[in-house]
Amino acid sequence: MSGRDRTDGATRASSRPPTDHAGLEVPAPTVAFSAEQLGEVRRLQGLYPDRRAALLPVLHLAQETFGYISLEVERYVAGLFDLTPAHVHEVVTFYTMFFRAPKGRHVVAVCHNLSCHLAGAPAIVAHLQGRLGIHVGETTADGRVTLQSVECLCACEHAPMMQVDDRYEFGLTPEKVDRILEGLR
Amino acid sequence: MTAEKILTRNFERADSHTLTAYLETGGYTAWQKAQTLPPAAITEEVKQSNLRGLGGAGFPTGTKWSFIPKNHTGPVYLVINADEGEPGTFKDRYLLERDPHALIEGMLIAARAIRSATGFVYVRGEYVEPYRRFSTAVSEAYDAGYLGKGFDVVVHRGAGAYICGEETGLISSLEGKKGWPKLKPPFPAIKGAFGAPTIVNNVETICHVPHIITRGAGWFASLGTKTQGGTRMYSVSGRVRRPGVYEASVAITLRRLIDELADGVTGNGRLKAVVPGGASAAILRADEIDVTMDVDGLRNAGTMAGSAGVIVMDETVSIPEALMVVARFYAHESCGQCTPCRESTGWIYKMVRRIVEGRGRKDDLDTILDVARRGAGTTICAFYDGAVGPYISYIEKFRGEFEALIDGAGARVVATPASRAATAHA
Amino acid sequence: MPKLTINGHAVEVPPGTNLIEAARRVGVEIPHYCYHPGLSIAGQCRLCMVDIEKTPRPTIACNTLAAEGMVVATETDRVKETRKSIMEFHLINHPLDCPVCDQAGECWLQIYYMEHGLYDPRMRDEKVHKPKAVPLGPHVMLDAERCILCSRCVRFCDEVTRTGELGIFDRGDHSEIGLFPGTELANKYSGNVVDICPVGALTDRDFRFAVRVWYLDSAKSVCPGCARGCNIEVHVNRRRPHHNEGRRVARLKPRFNADVNRWWICDAGRYGFAFVDDKTRLVAPARREDGAVGDATWEEAIGAVAGALRRFAPDEIGVFASPKMANEDLWALRRVLEAPGIRRVAFRVPPREPGDADTLLIRSDKNPNSHGAALLGLDGDGAAILAAARARQVKCLWVFGHDLLAGAWPEAETDAALRALPLLIFTGTNANATSERAHWVLPAAAWVEREGTYTNFEGRVQRFRQAVEPLGQALPEWDILGRVLRALGVEVGATRAERWFRELAAAVPAFAGLTYQAIGDTGAVLSAPTAGHPRSEPASRTPLQ
Repeated sequence: MSGRDRTDGATRASSRPPTDHAGLEVPAPTVAFSAEQLGEVRRLQGLYPDRRAALLPVLHLAQETFGYISLEVERYVAGLFDLTPAHVHEVVTFYTMFFRAPKGRHVVAVCHNLSCHLAGAPAIVAHLQGRLGIHVGETTADGRVTLQSVECLCACEHAPMMQVDDRYEFGLTPEKVDRILEGLR
Repeated sequence: MTAEKILTRNFERADSHTLTAYLETGGYTAWQKAQTLPPAAITEEVKQSNLRGLGGAGFPTGTKWSFIPKNHTGPVYLVINADEGEPGTFKDRYLLERDPHALIEGMLIAARAIRSATGFVYVRGEYVEPYRRFSTAVSEAYDAGYLGKGFDVVVHRGAGAYICGEETGLISSLEGKKGWPKLKPPFPAIKGAFGAPTIVNNVETICHVPHIITRGAGWFASLGTKTQGGTRMYSVSGRVRRPGVYEASVAITLRRLIDELADGVTGNGRLKAVVPGGASAAILRADEIDVTMDVDGLRNAGTMAGSAGVIVMDETVSIPEALMVVARFYAHESCGQCTPCRESTGWIYKMVRRIVEGRGRKDDLDTILDVARRGAGTTICAFYDGAVGPYISYIEKFRGEFEALIDGAGARVVATPASRAATAHA
Repeated sequence: MPKLTINGHAVEVPPGTNLIEAARRVGVEIPHYCYHPGLSIAGQCRLCMVDIEKTPRPTIACNTLAAEGMVVATETDRVKETRKSIMEFHLINHPLDCPVCDQAGECWLQIYYMEHGLYDPRMRDEKVHKPKAVPLGPHVMLDAERCILCSRCVRFCDEVTRTGELGIFDRGDHSEIGLFPGTELANKYSGNVVDICPVGALTDRDFRFAVRVWYLDSAKSVCPGCARGCNIEVHVNRRRPHHNEGRRVARLKPRFNADVNRWWICDAGRYGFAFVDDKTRLVAPARREDGAVGDATWEEAIGAVAGALRRFAPDEIGVFASPKMANEDLWALRRVLEAPGIRRVAFRVPPREPGDADTLLIRSDKNPNSHGAALLGLDGDGAAILAAARARQVKCLWVFGHDLLAGAWPEAETDAALRALPLLIFTGTNANATSERAHWVLPAAAWVEREGTYTNFEGRVQRFRQAVEPLGQALPEWDILGRVLRALGVEVGATRAERWFRELAAAVPAFAGLTYQAIGDTGAVLSAPTAGHPRSEPASRTPLQ
């Protein structure tokens, strides 16, 4: 909770542990970066005139490390930046790439914007939902795939397209989608 | 007019992203030349070239640079907007992946002009491969001594928010905050990133700079129109035979772009409508495409050059359904900061969706038009005005299609059979 | 100093003044939600649009600084249409639940809709749903559906308290204010977010549903909670007492004073008024004889006190004045003491725990008038008085307000002192362990029940006004003391608080020249804040120890 303990402020934040509305105490964060990662955090913070600018890069690092950005992770990251957890929560909830719940081992994000829509994106989404047995926004029971339908990924020349983890997959057909799914373990 | 490739000249080389390839094709010679020029001369050259911002706003680049306060002594930042996100646009992805050194060289020259020692390149979060390619090029440039001697480059990843392509939203995001656009004044050139004077330029804009320095403002200006010089990269998608990125003069007509470069309309082969400058540009009917693609040409046609993302629709495309997709985008991407945009993007999407789903009401269309007109120009940034372009133009130009849906409420006739994916419905 | 014209009125303003403030100077109110003079400029609500000559479209006034020669118009057709549109946008997803909203009657959505909206509603789609009736902390309740996302509360926590508990999460029309899950809004100033919330999104858990705001009456006052003396308004429920279980004081609200508290008050002060309508209030004079308590008349009580002051030698009498008493009371007390020449006087009872303090408003001295009491020469050694009581040198002790047993002094010693006293007189608003021991209890009116002034720690004299009638037979201390003086045969001219103050100002150099009129609504600083000794006073009579 070092993020709340400011000395420059007019008042000091309450020193008692935060409680939820039922008055239950929130456990101290159990997530933590390795020493090497903390070094990377400091390096990233040093790249900018204001270390807060490293918040997005550090949240990316946190998501890679912890799988998703839990409230615990937000609290932990807030401490690394001397921010309040609310300030980190604002950022995490603003951007679409931060997962706030466990995600599948693979994330399949189908573009549903205009060019892909014109090229049949709704059918691709329907196909994926059928094959995976889940709706958009859900994760397969085996934790293999999280399916998303997203705004323009800016590869409209290859519509319909989708992003599978870090890769863009172009010119989708149901057959191609099946082949891609087979490659996801 | 389309003969010479400038920005895309190396795209065919498999190793075009490497420093070796870049140097073999004359890379970094412009930077050598620029180092002999006073900063003001560089800015003047860019002004004379009539280079205009290619991210969307079309503002004269040299003029923008000249807004940096002359007697400023603290840091000045050069920020590159690589947060490509305008639906229908994909040119910067090509530049980052296939000619990253052109951006680095352009940044070196621009930084000299504005006396900046630090540049930030804000790459959209989803662009993982472009981010890696560009980061590798930055490492090469450091190793080769282009960077690190008075100018440093930090490559920064976004995290998924269209609004971060707005220059002050981008600055907020770069600063580690939500991508909420900032109030103007102050303008970034006075008080931008980290409170310092800042110039935000689009990737493609900066990639032009080395060529302007090498070949001169007069040459660049001569490639375009009276008020806008050069070529630009058109992203063409939708119902065309050969979707892709095409470099051509800013003075090319939309018709030639579609018919000659993209090889004509698919679907039923008959053009219905075109979005000429990314989703935020007002739509043009098939009879409105004999316009030049420069900033002023398209403005005179009642739309905008924007990011030059051209989305082509043939007669089988449902315009109401297209508007629903676009309206969903604006509702999803509104940052929520100021009231007119936050509240009405969602409302308009609900109305358009209702119409498309056959539950339209008689007065919906007039309500949408009125709400859009009333909100236009009232917000902090240009996002909402960008949404208003499609809201109004789709309905005004294709009102009959919307009315048919409303009149035949319940009979949903829209479907967008997609060539390659249509079978998936079965 | 830029000169500009607003709706035809010429006005000159200090550099850096925005158009909302500049317009206020010529009596022009520009409607706004997100702008607050105590917070940074957000420019989010877009309501404060005005027309500026040579500007192509309406511009927000909050982020526009007055400039030389600027010509501003706030009531053009274009501006009015824009305002109407912005009002519609604000209300698209608003639940329109005024009948069950506690903000009704003081809601700026209601007010501005009537003044600037009056459009025909046309939003017939499902509204966005958000959390309702969420307790954010001990004092504040959130209804996110009513929120217009003006971010005032967020900026308050970021910029004023610097505690940063609140944020605006998500985006688009799903944006909502809230806390980081699992935390609460419990900073020492949390109630202020309710004040600055222009709508019914943040309401006061203590006040909500107690009484409709249109039944409230208000009086300008000063918070008695600490030595700062924050300016407040006392909102009282006289017209519908049954609406609030008989509680007359409904709430305290901060009142702007640039030199004292600006727009804010702390929660301790805001919610510190419960004693006024508490069951422990003393409502009638009472006498305790042989352990039995019985009501008495004021005549009997005053007679008993005056008799004691005559009966005991001045050195056998001790007095604990209170730093919670008004200047007028303290001056009347001085007059009483001077009559027989009582010198054993003190007003400070050290608290068991040092009071909390910060650099924003909160002072560790939890009394509103320690400064005034000191200036009036009442600062003596309280411990010595108690010691003298234990030694049976002091035989009559008159305590104002204090519970001597609750202070930092060893309780057993204080207890022994009180037991040793042949006569203990207590004057105060509420019963406490000391009053329970008193032989005579004289009920005092609470600060909201009377007029008076306090002198804050900086030497600012501030008035508080009467908001309600005294409970039962309670009287202001100056009145009780005036009656005692008369019973002692002293001529008393003052029959109102203001008269007492006039007398005080004439006698005490520090207060020279001050009048209720000069003090006004925002107070006046003492001419010589430390010059407390009464003019031409015989040395033997000052100091009073």
